[in-house]
Amino acid sequence: MKKYFYLFVVVAFIGTFLGANANAEERQWDRASLWSPITVKLVDCSQYKKKPPYVIGFSNAGISNSWAVFMHREVQAEAERHPDMIKNLYVTDAKDKADKQINDVEDLMAKGIDLLIIRATTEAALDPVVTRLHKKGFPVITVSKGIKSDNFVSFVDASNIVLGRQNMVWLCEILKGKGNIVMLGGWPGAGSVLDRKAGAEEALSRYPGVKALDYQYTHFSPTEGKTVMQAMIQSYGNKIDGVWCDSGLQGMGALEAMVEAGMNVPITGDQLNGFMVRALKHNFKAVMGAYPPRMGAEAVKLALRVLNGESVPHHFNVPTLVSATDETADIKADIPWNQLAQPGKPDNWWIGHTLPEKWLPY
Amino acid sequence: MLSVGPLFEKYGVYIFLALLFILSSFLSPAFLTAQNLKNVFTPAAALGMVSLGQTFVILTGRGGLDLSVASVMATVTVIASMNTRGQDALLFPVSIVCILFGVLVGLGNGLLITKRRVQPFIATLGMMIIVQGLRFLYSKGAPKGSFPPFLRYLGTGTIGPIPVSVLSFALLLAIAAIVLRKTVFGRQVYTVGGNLEAAIICGYNTDIIIISIYIISGFTAALAGLFLAGWIGVSDNWVGQGYEVDSIAAVVMGGTSFAGGKGGVLGTTAGVMIIATLYNLVLLLHLPLQLQYVVKGAAIILAASFYARKARH
Repeated sequence: MKKYFYLFVVVAFIGTFLGANANAEERQWDRASLWSPITVKLVDCSQYKKKPPYVIGFSNAGISNSWAVFMHREVQAEAERHPDMIKNLYVTDAKDKADKQINDVEDLMAKGIDLLIIRATTEAALDPVVTRLHKKGFPVITVSKGIKSDNFVSFVDASNIVLGRQNMVWLCEILKGKGNIVMLGGWPGAGSVLDRKAGAEEALSRYPGVKALDYQYTHFSPTEGKTVMQAMIQSYGNKIDGVWCDSGLQGMGALEAMVEAGMNVPITGDQLNGFMVRALKHNFKAVMGAYPPRMGAEAVKLALRVLNGESVPHHFNVPTLVSATDETADIKADIPWNQLAQPGKPDNWWIGHTLPEKWLPY
Repeated sequence: MLSVGPLFEKYGVYIFLALLFILSSFLSPAFLTAQNLKNVFTPAAALGMVSLGQTFVILTGRGGLDLSVASVMATVTVIASMNTRGQDALLFPVSIVCILFGVLVGLGNGLLITKRRVQPFIATLGMMIIVQGLRFLYSKGAPKGSFPPFLRYLGTGTIGPIPVSVLSFALLLAIAAIVLRKTVFGRQVYTVGGNLEAAIICGYNTDIIIISIYIISGFTAALAGLFLAGWIGVSDNWVGQGYEVDSIAAVVMGGTSFAGGKGGVLGTTAGVMIIATLYNLVLLLHLPLQLQYVVKGAAIILAASFYARKARH
């Protein structure tokens, strides 16, 4: 009898565990929106209502890193899931050049699309063209990289501020509010990078005992991440108690540098598999805030609702995921680190995507 | 009266490097430590390798330069990680494929420049874009795989106190210096760069010489890609990004003139060391990384202005 009881406990335990995981994956609300004390403006889309099937255009800023590739494919895969609704999806790649993207948008318009999804190269350069379309009554959804003005139907994103803030909160808490840190950011001037930095600095201001020794940009490059981290280790040595990175891309490089130097201090990053696997392998304390590529799929779902004439939120935050090797008072792992990190998968694997097998870039 | 002008023009790059070293060790106590020098020069060996090939190219003059090197480096990295899948046993055959790839790209550049009379800037720029496109097609934008332990050793290991990559570079440097100074081919390279008409009158097959030079550049770029991949240990689509500009800067700073026919690989090596030191110094001094571009740009202009003066005289 006792044996069955133990069996029951074990099964129940595993069941709860799996259940918790499934919930984390299925969440439709990101915490920032769910707990936000203000409501997001709703946009009445009745003026955009059209009969299916639709032709949708997707103008991507670029696919020069693996995150952008996953996100790009999320858009394509989601469009394919609605064959009766979406007749055609035209995609363009601006190669990270604003002038090319302006031409891309004009090309897509000439093809007679019913709605434009755009991931803008820069906030400022694409603003006039998107604004013009919006003023003409044409529906535009921005995703991941938005425009400067409010002249669009909806902006689909995950909060970069939250990512930067929660990474910093974890780092300060794991250091028990005392120590020196160095910060490695991505692209100088990019909106997402500035937001992550701003969120981190806001959090840091609550911990007077934690001091940021230096902030350097790494262009989201593992190579630069390693070079910069090596120089920081040389100049600060044992004074460094923690490393804040706004992405796992340079985080992988920073980890390589620390492993070579025999240093082991807590580090932050995102859900890039190479980062998570390296932290696990070398026993680093680490946290990651996910910036999910599935926002591409969410943009397509939202596009269908816009063309159906429904009301949609002006700003749509995709749920994110947090995980940490070691939890702190404020930062708990949605899914344990060692379950998310997949040593058998490539470094450039973005955990938490919704791509079916045939759309994986492998 | 002894004039220091010509002396400075001839040895300017070495004097500049020495001054930079002295200045750096004064500015940052962390600079002149064994560990820091190892950190600086281990990855710099890869830049050195690319720059050796770039020196040959720029020596031929008339706007000769190779913009496709960084693209070759990144592509080699992707080929290596995706095909060795981290296994030492596969490293040798895959490395051969990587080197062949570099050689083929160089051959393409050389043929375009000699047989189709395309400007080197345009030919190698076009090749850079093609190679980049091929890389993205091949990796689908997200390269997979990892690097074999032996390649990691080549990139990060040491023999005694000296990094393996630095030793490998030194070997390559010696070969390049001997080829340029002691062989018929070396003399031909200088002649083609210094005076093309003379080279033609001498009966040199200038096309073959120029094609060989771009092949050398493709070869060194592929080799540098492998070493840099071993150093970073992460398969990335942009390994070696910016090395086309850095290698050209190193060559020009090292005294090889764009007019061709003048300069050599020793000066280039000093140029590489200057670039690597500047990058490191900016970080050690906790200045914004962006400032290195200003410093680097200023150093190039300073160096180039000495040689411009020399050419006028």
